[in-house]
Amino acid sequence: MLPDVPAFDFSFCFMFINWAQREITLKIVYYGPGLSGKTTNLRYIHNNLNPSLRGDLITLNTKEDRTLFFDFLQLELGQILGKKPRFNLYTVPGQVYYSQSRKIILSGVDGIVFVVDSQIERLEDNLDTLLDLEQNLITMGRTLKNFPFVIQFNKWDLPNTANIDALQHKLNFYQAPHFKSVATEGIGVLETLKAIINQVVIHIQQKV
Amino acid sequence: MNLGHGGNNGQSIVLSGEMYKAISEILSDLASKTRARAIIFSDMNGHPITQRGTSADINISNMSALAAGGFAATTEIAKLIGEKKQFKFIFHEGEKNNVYLSNVGDNFLLIIIFDSQTALGMIRIYTKRAINALTELIANVTDTEQKITQFVDVDFNKYLSEELDKAFKF
Repeated sequence: MLPDVPAFDFSFCFMFINWAQREITLKIVYYGPGLSGKTTNLRYIHNNLNPSLRGDLITLNTKEDRTLFFDFLQLELGQILGKKPRFNLYTVPGQVYYSQSRKIILSGVDGIVFVVDSQIERLEDNLDTLLDLEQNLITMGRTLKNFPFVIQFNKWDLPNTANIDALQHKLNFYQAPHFKSVATEGIGVLETLKAIINQVVIHIQQKV
Repeated sequence: MNLGHGGNNGQSIVLSGEMYKAISEILSDLASKTRARAIIFSDMNGHPITQRGTSADINISNMSALAAGGFAATTEIAKLIGEKKQFKFIFHEGEKNNVYLSNVGDNFLLIIIFDSQTALGMIRIYTKRAINALTELIANVTDTEQKITQFVDVDFNKYLSEELDKAFKF
């Protein structure tokens, strides 16, 4: 007989638990400016994951192959201590124009990966998008300061990347875990995913 | 937990075994009356909760994620034109199949996929009844705190990390 768990209020998290099926579903959103590599992260995860553990990669793109609404990938791990964890990974459209869509996708988020385009000339775009993210979180009654959050400094293979200290100083004002990455080659992608999942689970444990 | 609030308010949803059973029964009843291809009960964030129907070839996770995204976008359209609430239902008409979407309270979504030969009126009548039953069921949830440590304890994190490593080394 399964334990009956009628309800549980959990003010900082949105996770969904189906006690009858012993499933926990968590939502992770990849946020960042346009062309920073959010979809590339998901594509790499999709291509390198055991096919029996993942669903299709759903992409809602414009004709120019830019994200129009979101990408979606479900990652379903095997049983862990009798429970089935599921992670729903989403990206947001990075272009400034789609601000309303980003708000919709953030709804119900459990953890955020901020994908930075590390090139010097994109510094302001990164900052604008980070502020847009924080603003959206504030309207949802939360802040990056105490939310599961990881920063990924992407495109680290390019010659014109900014200095890591400068990037950290300018963007990582809450000292979130951070990773250098080359998403096209998968460098740093799995580390980032593991770090955000870890943050989300720790966050849940701390709030109990 | 207050299930009557909107999805943006920050509460998690924990579904009890009893509640899951009751929801499944309502869905079974709706499935037998409408003979729909598939009926999915999902939360507003696109996490499928349970499903019924005669077709096993529909990817429920993808369907829920896309339907919830579409529903959320359409709700914003309702706001833009001055509607106070979301649209009562959304109907997609295809050549062979139709999709009917409706919210259940503020936190849940009912997705019905049915043959285009099936009368929409019948779907609407039975769905409305099911939604009323589901809404009543959800409203009767009492606020009870329950420790979640049984679900996500310290060991869970360790094993999760190992499972993730395995998932990428196939």
